[in-house]
Amino acid sequence: MEHQQFEPVFPIDKGYLKRKKIYNNLAFLFAIAAFLIGAFPVFHIIYKAFAIGYKYLNFNFISTLPTGFPIGAEGGILNAIIGDVYLVVIASVLAIPLGIGTGLYLSLFGKKRTNYFLRLLNELMIGIPSIVWGIVGFYIFSTNAGFGFHFGFSALAGGLTLGFIMTPIVALLTEQAVNQIPASYIEGALALGATKFQAAKSVILKAALGGIFIGILLGVMNIIGQTAPLLFTNYYNTGLPTGVTGPGGAVGDMAMLIFIYIHEPSRILHYKAEAASVVLLLFIFLLDLGLRLINYLVKKFIL
Amino acid sequence: MFNLKYKDDFFKFILSVFVLAVVVIFLIAVIVILYYSYPSISRYGISFLWKKEWNPPAEIFGALTFLAGTFFVTFLALIFAIPLSLGTGIFLQEYCPFFLRGIFTIIIEMLAGIPSVVFGVWGVLTVVPWIRESVEPFFSRHFSGVPFLKVEENIGYGILAASIIVAFMILPIIASITKDSLSSVPKLAKDGALAMGATKLDVIKDVSMPYALNGIYGGIILGFGRAIGETIATVLLIGNQAIVPKSLFSVGYTISSMLANTFTFAVISPIYASAEVELALILLLISLMVNIVGRNILNRVIGGRFSRSQFGGG
Repeated sequence: MEHQQFEPVFPIDKGYLKRKKIYNNLAFLFAIAAFLIGAFPVFHIIYKAFAIGYKYLNFNFISTLPTGFPIGAEGGILNAIIGDVYLVVIASVLAIPLGIGTGLYLSLFGKKRTNYFLRLLNELMIGIPSIVWGIVGFYIFSTNAGFGFHFGFSALAGGLTLGFIMTPIVALLTEQAVNQIPASYIEGALALGATKFQAAKSVILKAALGGIFIGILLGVMNIIGQTAPLLFTNYYNTGLPTGVTGPGGAVGDMAMLIFIYIHEPSRILHYKAEAASVVLLLFIFLLDLGLRLINYLVKKFIL
Repeated sequence: MFNLKYKDDFFKFILSVFVLAVVVIFLIAVIVILYYSYPSISRYGISFLWKKEWNPPAEIFGALTFLAGTFFVTFLALIFAIPLSLGTGIFLQEYCPFFLRGIFTIIIEMLAGIPSVVFGVWGVLTVVPWIRESVEPFFSRHFSGVPFLKVEENIGYGILAASIIVAFMILPIIASITKDSLSSVPKLAKDGALAMGATKLDVIKDVSMPYALNGIYGGIILGFGRAIGETIATVLLIGNQAIVPKSLFSVGYTISSMLANTFTFAVISPIYASAEVELALILLLISLMVNIVGRNILNRVIGGRFSRSQFGGG
């Protein structure tokens, strides 16, 4: 019997395959080009900030107050560094207890429905534009009308407004950290007769500590770069604060300093803004490194 | 036994107080904005949204100029950012060799961590000169007749500069959510398609993307929400002139940059301040709606996991 030749059901079109291959390669080129364009600003921002600001980057720059005319032409950015410490501490005092408390409530006591709404509420708070928080902070803390806080443009008003921004971040990451703990840890504690408080104190907080810390660092990283909320609640101070409220209570702030310097029609101040950007980026990338390290350690040793 | 039970209730009570405080903060934010914008809402009504004139001494306020600027910048930023961030997400998840994926993802997350004021400074010192010296002369030579691409003043500042920077700021959000959504595609489905002779592109186009599409929509919506409220970078780059932008290169004004520039003067006159707060109310309502939709999609699709990129910046 003679060998029978079957026609393929779908005739193979050589050109079709070739086209497919070309499209495939084009898609790869597009993807890698998109990534390169996306990654370009990271390197160019760091490079440009260094290239312009390098001649001001010395120990004097971070250890002296701005002087000269226009103010900042001589001296450094000590006011902004001290001010950032003020703001971060005040924001943390508000945000850390509220955030951790909310996160623990969500993961320990929350029912399905309350959890859904509380999570959504926190996510919405993250989504509110920072300029709107600024206006809210202004009306709550800085005006004489309204709520009876007469903080004026001060560290306390600015810090608490930043705390509003930081709270939901800490809350959501605390919840996520607690949910990452294997359920058997908590169930084991509860099965041995521990109350939820004892379980939280001796098991959950220990196992979730790294995750909670990541949340706090992320919150600090976020508020350290915020400018818009401070425009109406703290603004800026070229010297050191004499208190935390009222006149003399305003503090300098790194992001605000950069914003003000880049607005000035002075080349020296533009260069100094870039030098200050280097310092700010250094802070942020150090925090970033810290939380990546914690993340690594948590993954390796706790979970 | 009673003692322990009592202790637990007390613990729950303390945590509830914290939760209540967070809820109160949110409510106060909404109520403050509503309360202080009420005089303007009741005086100008709905026509506030489409009146063009903004004249504080005459107490005539209309938001159209700022709404137009905001939406122009936001949509242009999305047009730039969507293809780039989809490409980035696809590259990181599908094409990138495994040993490089970690470090490349960190680079994109670093982009999310850069504060907006640093972006703004970079824009002023890099992007604006580039637009002024290369882009605008090119367009005025070759596209001078095209209505949307007319170069009016060759200054570099304007809609284009602002939207390029905003695009880079929302890129990591959309890219990381794209990557997360793609990573939840079952490996079996992809392997099956590959075994049937599909190319990598076919797998991405016909298997991964349909599966991940909902998550990507969520990411784009979140990016939109972030872009619409972006303040500091737009203040520095958009040119701050209250005109309705007619072309890619014209200057303009967004709601957020308007608030940043004039709110501190506005509080002298109650009705002026109220009109400004009504602008903030528009931003607030848009961001709330956008986030409710976006977060619901994301919670369903990738289970509400948080990628780092969603918190960065400022």
